[in-house]
Amino acid sequence: MSFNAGFQFNRLVRPAILAIGLCALGSSAALAQAASGEPVTIGVSGPLTGQNAQYGAQWKKGFDLALEEVNAKGGVKGRPLQYVFEDSQADPRQTVAIAQKFVSDPKIVVELGDFSSTASMAASSIYQRAGLVQFGFTNSHPNFTKGGDFIWSNSVSQADEQPRLAKYAADLGFKRVAVLYLNTDWGRASQNLFSEAAKGYGLDVVASEGYQPDEKDFRSTLVRVRDAKPDAIVLISYYADGALVTRQIRTVGLTTPIVASGSIYSPKFIELAGDAANGVFTASNFFPGDSRPEVKSFVDKFRAKYNEEPDDFNAVAYDTIILLAAVINQYGTDRTAIRDGLAQIKDVPSVIYGKATFDPQTRRVAGARAVYLVVKNGQFVLWDGKKPSAT
Amino acid sequence: MSSFIDYTVNGLVIGNIYALLAVGLALIFGVANLINFAHGSVYTIGAYIGWAAITFLHTPLPVTMLIVFVACALVGMLIERVGLRPLQGKARIAPLLATIGLSFVLDQVVQLVFSPDPRAVPSDLPDWRLTIGGGSIGAMDILIAGVGIVSAALLYVFLRFTKLGFAVRATAQDREAAQQMGVNVNAVNSAVFAIASALGGVGGLLVGMYYNHIDPAMSFQATLKGVVAQVIGGVGNVPGAIFGSLLLGLVESYGIALFGTTYRNLFAFVLLIIFLLWLPNGLFGGRSTVHTEPLVGSFIAPSRPLRVPRWAIWALALIAFALPLATGAPYLLQTLTNAWLAALLALSLTLISGTAGQISLGQAALLAIGGYASALLAVDLGAPPIVSIPAAGLITSALGTLLVFPAFRLRGHYIAIATLAIGEIVSLVILNWESLTRGAMGITGIPPLSLFGHEIYSARAVYWLCLAVVVAMALLQSRLLNSHFGRTLRALREDEIAARSYGIGLDRYKALAFAFCGFGAGVSGAITAHLYSYLNDQTFNSQLSLLALTMVILGGMGNVLGAIVGAVALVGLPEIFRVAAEYRILIYGVALLLLIRFRPQGLLGAV
Repeated sequence: MSFNAGFQFNRLVRPAILAIGLCALGSSAALAQAASGEPVTIGVSGPLTGQNAQYGAQWKKGFDLALEEVNAKGGVKGRPLQYVFEDSQADPRQTVAIAQKFVSDPKIVVELGDFSSTASMAASSIYQRAGLVQFGFTNSHPNFTKGGDFIWSNSVSQADEQPRLAKYAADLGFKRVAVLYLNTDWGRASQNLFSEAAKGYGLDVVASEGYQPDEKDFRSTLVRVRDAKPDAIVLISYYADGALVTRQIRTVGLTTPIVASGSIYSPKFIELAGDAANGVFTASNFFPGDSRPEVKSFVDKFRAKYNEEPDDFNAVAYDTIILLAAVINQYGTDRTAIRDGLAQIKDVPSVIYGKATFDPQTRRVAGARAVYLVVKNGQFVLWDGKKPSAT
Repeated sequence: MSSFIDYTVNGLVIGNIYALLAVGLALIFGVANLINFAHGSVYTIGAYIGWAAITFLHTPLPVTMLIVFVACALVGMLIERVGLRPLQGKARIAPLLATIGLSFVLDQVVQLVFSPDPRAVPSDLPDWRLTIGGGSIGAMDILIAGVGIVSAALLYVFLRFTKLGFAVRATAQDREAAQQMGVNVNAVNSAVFAIASALGGVGGLLVGMYYNHIDPAMSFQATLKGVVAQVIGGVGNVPGAIFGSLLLGLVESYGIALFGTTYRNLFAFVLLIIFLLWLPNGLFGGRSTVHTEPLVGSFIAPSRPLRVPRWAIWALALIAFALPLATGAPYLLQTLTNAWLAALLALSLTLISGTAGQISLGQAALLAIGGYASALLAVDLGAPPIVSIPAAGLITSALGTLLVFPAFRLRGHYIAIATLAIGEIVSLVILNWESLTRGAMGITGIPPLSLFGHEIYSARAVYWLCLAVVVAMALLQSRLLNSHFGRTLRALREDEIAARSYGIGLDRYKALAFAFCGFGAGVSGAITAHLYSYLNDQTFNSQLSLLALTMVILGGMGNVLGAIVGAVALVGLPEIFRVAAEYRILIYGVALLLLIRFRPQGLLGAV
């Protein structure tokens, strides 16, 4: 349509210009029903290059989907919502510069990210002092929100997550478990919480091994694990490293059942682990087969837009934009109003939480949903309640 | 006992994998006398080309390997032609840097083309396994071992019995002499890069299949392990590289057996240091492989430094101090503050690497020591920053010197590898010494900068503080360089033997240089800790060490003003390219390459 108009412009004179003008008016009028005026801008600080670039790419997909939805429904306060994504490489030196950029830019009403605690927490004091909400949606470090009353997170609290994983392992009938964890602040904290909760469920943690994020070879670690004679291996991993470990557990010939934290939930996990993924148990916050309407609508839209299965990171990113849009819509675009709004807003529909409500004291959301899953024939399916036969 | 066999088998299996990289690195080092930091990137490219061939063309394994072999050979020739040949005759540091720049560019291209998401590489090998002890090895393990051993054997035959092989060895022994004897050294170099890169690429493919996992960020770690393995085997020695790799794999595996998984890399790097100190020629290197020529002197570009008049320097300093009065933009001030903090690191490195000629690839470790020292003093003992920051400087000065002390007898590339290892060891100790450093959880709640009870946190105040420290350190350093201390350091850079015969105590002067630079870097790390309020083992990583070296070379080795200019440029450029989003690191890498190509002595020239 506009191409045709432009084409005419080259050949015809005035009437054509008028036609374009009308044309442009027409198209913006169509949008105006949705949202118009000065856009409201969210600042995102995250990795688009470097070691963690894939997570930044996953975020974007979730954000874009949520924005489409928000803006189609009239935006926030009648204005379109948008984001600017600054690449930080999850490097603290860059996040502090980005933080200064965002806090001094009056267009930015709230900030999202960064990815890792190293990068996010270095910038927290800048956001806190400037009074711009730093909303870390992947920051599970227990001290992240202690940075001040402008530091918020809807990342699933491992204090909720790990006891649930321990319970799942106990429900599956295991007694002795070996824990393999990613040796980062997230993995270390999770491993502590898991071990504490495990005692309560009568589980004996017989081995505990931390591995570096860039580690690829686990064969010798697995000999240690095998020698501890566990009846299940617990993985506290992300999908990429979780898949590597899972695959190697099976290739070295161990048949010990695997129970993994929900963070491995991703179609990529199955792709990377191959056949070895079959039989892996996980308690995930997000499961596309879930019948809740928030989940169903998210999954359908995601599949339609990207022609692929959403994962945990897509879901969290999507949830976060929906949540912030609700806050801004209700409480306005003022930075402080957004902080106050986060404390007050109740029951925002959420893929991860069902309904999200913050605890104003901890500035976190409690009560993430979780479903017991197991991988069967290369698919995550709901656990049927059958305990694995003892090995 | 059965576990011991398992650990041994596992060690050999992983050593096997390191060997695929180490062989290529050794070949290139042997001929070009260069640690090729782009080798890991070729390995990644090979893995992705293989993935593309399998996914889109459904090629069987032998065909895939052939495609990867040919494609990576071309990439290798391209690297040699574009990145390295134009630098011939320039200082040896230039090609080293060029490989770092090339690795940035290649990794970014892979990431842009194939997306950063990890991919699965299916293999059509039979699912067949041989049980050994409590574990087993599979067809892929045997294929990898076969490729490693066969390629090393072929290389041996090639080097020993073919005409081109003679030429390669002649070039490795003495470039100029070979050239005079009519050897086309360019063709030799090109051939060597082609062979090494082809092997590296096939290695990447096989390892990708082995793990069923490839990602664009896999190259750095691969290069690191390859370098360690080939040093153990004897730098530049091809069969040695295989044995070095196997030994490295075994030591890592036994390390895991004894102490647990988190200690794995600690063992790798401690092994490296042990070899560097007691067997610097490696397992297989003859005495002759260690070059007796004064490596460092010719390592750095000889040049006449750009003379910047004194009034201009003062004017620049004045402008820098006045800047916050003219603009309140916190983003600009923060970026420049980052640059000042980086400048402190660059100043320390330019003294060590430029003036004293000890190339350090582990300088970020000094920041980490300073940062942790100040943070722990402040958090655990309640020391105010005005006390903890200088104290951290002194601690870093002492600890840093002590750590490098054993490496003082090393030269040239060896000191670079040793400092790289020391840097990794520091970061691994921070990760594992949980009772002191809180391990991976890091230190939270580090108090902000303050002066006599007044907190300093406005972007302006922090800017002035950091700038003042930089100016003070720079003045002190220029003063030192013009004293007999500076002359002595330059003397030992140019020729250690001559310096010693003039009665200069080498170790003492090196220690003094490290102590001075430890203080500056320690203060920089300490200020950073208070600015960020949070530190963990990833805050000061090995990429930062490489960045610091780039700053120093950009500014001109040993050049005080150059170090500051380099820091401002390299902190500023990525921020300027920010509009380019995903492309910015690519642009940065290209800019770096152009700079090395056209001004290898640095912007302001080496001193």
